[in-house]
Amino acid sequence: MATTATGEIGAGGRRAAAASSLSVHLARSWRRNGAGYLFLMPWLIGFFGLTLGPTLASLYLSFTDYDLLTPPRWAGLKNYEYAFFQDERLRHALWVTFQYVIWAVPLKLAVALALAMALDRSVRGVGLYRAAFYLPSLLGASVAIALLWRLIFGADGLVNHLLFVILGIKGPGWVTHPDYALWTLIALAVWQFGSPMIIFLAGLRQIPQDLYEAASMDGAGPPRQFFRITLPLLAPVIFFNLVFQTIEAFKAFTQAFIVSGGRGGPVDSTLFYSLYLYIEAFENFRMGYASALAWLLLVIIGVFTAIAFLTSRYWVYYEDEGR
Amino acid sequence: MNNRISRRDFGRLAAAGASLAVLGGMMTPAQAETRLRLIWWGNPDRDRRTNEVVDLYVKQNADVAIDPETYAWNDYWPKLATQAAGRNLPDVIQMDYRYIFEYARRGQLADLTPFVGKSIDLSDFDPNQLASGKVDDKLYGISMGANSMTHVYKPGQLEQLGLPVPDATKWTIDDYVAMGKEVKGKLPEGLYFSENMAYREPSLETWVRQRGKALYTADGKLGYELEDLTDYFAFWFQMQEDGLTPPADLQSQAIASGKMEDTMFVTGHAVFDFIHSNQLVAVQKLVPDDLDITMIPNQKDGKPGQYLKPSMLISMSATAADPEASAKLVNFFITDESAADILLIERGVTGDASIRERIVPKLSAIEQKIVAYLDVVGTHVGELPPPPPKNAGELDRALQPAWESVSFKKVDLKDAAKDYYEKAKVALERA
Repeated sequence: MATTATGEIGAGGRRAAAASSLSVHLARSWRRNGAGYLFLMPWLIGFFGLTLGPTLASLYLSFTDYDLLTPPRWAGLKNYEYAFFQDERLRHALWVTFQYVIWAVPLKLAVALALAMALDRSVRGVGLYRAAFYLPSLLGASVAIALLWRLIFGADGLVNHLLFVILGIKGPGWVTHPDYALWTLIALAVWQFGSPMIIFLAGLRQIPQDLYEAASMDGAGPPRQFFRITLPLLAPVIFFNLVFQTIEAFKAFTQAFIVSGGRGGPVDSTLFYSLYLYIEAFENFRMGYASALAWLLLVIIGVFTAIAFLTSRYWVYYEDEGR
Repeated sequence: MNNRISRRDFGRLAAAGASLAVLGGMMTPAQAETRLRLIWWGNPDRDRRTNEVVDLYVKQNADVAIDPETYAWNDYWPKLATQAAGRNLPDVIQMDYRYIFEYARRGQLADLTPFVGKSIDLSDFDPNQLASGKVDDKLYGISMGANSMTHVYKPGQLEQLGLPVPDATKWTIDDYVAMGKEVKGKLPEGLYFSENMAYREPSLETWVRQRGKALYTADGKLGYELEDLTDYFAFWFQMQEDGLTPPADLQSQAIASGKMEDTMFVTGHAVFDFIHSNQLVAVQKLVPDDLDITMIPNQKDGKPGQYLKPSMLISMSATAADPEASAKLVNFFITDESAADILLIERGVTGDASIRERIVPKLSAIEQKIVAYLDVVGTHVGELPPPPPKNAGELDRALQPAWESVSFKKVDLKDAAKDYYEKAKVALERA
């Protein structure tokens, strides 16, 4: 019914007019955004068809005792109470995760930015260098690299052989000693600087060159140019990378799982939150409790993201805001 | 005429090929009337043997098709639990003594008693081994073979170091430590007397059983005292501090990996190691020198610490679509002679007397050592302990960080033992 209402008088006519104006509105909106929705389709189908159901189910399960073998039993707030007041191992896992986030994210962003700036020039073969520096990120999340990492940083590993040959030092087992294992994982994370680097590169390209030219004519050296031009103009990109990498870091799982053989050891020193969640769900078969943990993680990540957004107005400037 | 394939033609060809493949895929199951799913955990050697038995069974029973699934131990239990939750358990399931009560009492496994004497023939089966698959007087699993704990070593290496071969049934922990101290100075850099076994639950279990106790009581409580655990940690800590076992960060390499090829013994860092007897074949494949096994040294005036344990059981799902066909497959694994010729004792020494008689002459030298060992152990073992309670798996895994907090000197060993003991009590009561 795409025709417009004629000049009929009466309630029915008005309704028809309203309905048809709605359909016109929808049709217009579709013409305007249809292509967008079409491109969103794969994600929308994935979200509504695959993700949403299990997500809601896990919310329900978080209020139950569920061991997978017997049907879930309603437990009220018991799981949340246990998580908040009793679970010492959870507190430890949170502490490990915070340490990881606090060190890995800024270090990774710093390395990514430094390399992006180094590669942001037209040297011959720069494309090759960029690809080479991106490579660790392609491999990074893979099981093979984590395994390799374990071999390189093991007590018998390559790093210790080199230390012994070159410096005559007998190094500890970096991934197998509780004082160093987390740092090895942080190093692994920093090494995967590829994707923020690419985004920084794109951001650097957006900065008008004439600003630098003007600055150097006014006698500003490279450090000053960096702090006065590059950083402020890059702030939106830094902000994006910060939020994105923080979320990723909170969800870190694979590296710790592989390096510690799925246990978060030694002495729980690599027990990331999501690894503990996995252990509770699939090894200790407390699916209800693990669901509660998953929702708590969502809240924690949400809080940190909110903090980032709330503080962003003080340090992120968008060029089109005219400030 | 243009005889090159255009892009559109190529698309058509690909589509045709794909639909043929789909049709082909649909054709195969149509031939078999019954389709069974079989799942086990294992290693490449076990997978090969099991798949051969599956092929043999399908060849003999043209109306049956079998879908095999196999995982490593660590992945197996999450997978199985998930399938149970989805009411999608395979028909025939390899079970572990640790889990059989949980699965049986929660109605996931079928009682095999009605099939015994019909499609499952247990007339030659050792009643003691059969008992390990009984829950509440019903038969929920049949032992696929027995094993026991052992200390593994290289006879050639002992001779070279001037050490006597231990007398399996007589040697004590004092002998063991004395041997270590005697040989310590002679060992090359990086080689230690023994793997540090403190973090392994079967090692703790042997320790408390030697003191006449058990890991768990029949009603699912801790079966030993805090003092036993403290002594246990103290013993292994002393071993580490005396340099008889590897330093903590080297030992942790084996702990983190959890794989046989990364143990201190296999990587050449230890003279003695704790394994289960059926693992000897696999360890021998990783080590060039000849191996032998002996009993775990006992404590002074100790009781038998070891027992004969079903290395794994074969069970049937309660939701098996065709129980009769599933039971027949179970029977094939337990009693068929040609299947036994393939399986041999990779899953432990069978409880079926006639099968055992048949396969022993076919065994390799190393496999015969296992059979001989179990014959010796059989006269020096205690009763099968009650199966571990729910959450016991969690305690097994928690022993590792508890021990590492001792070995890395993060916590005083008395506090670590107390902490583990208290948490264990809580975990056993938790849902």
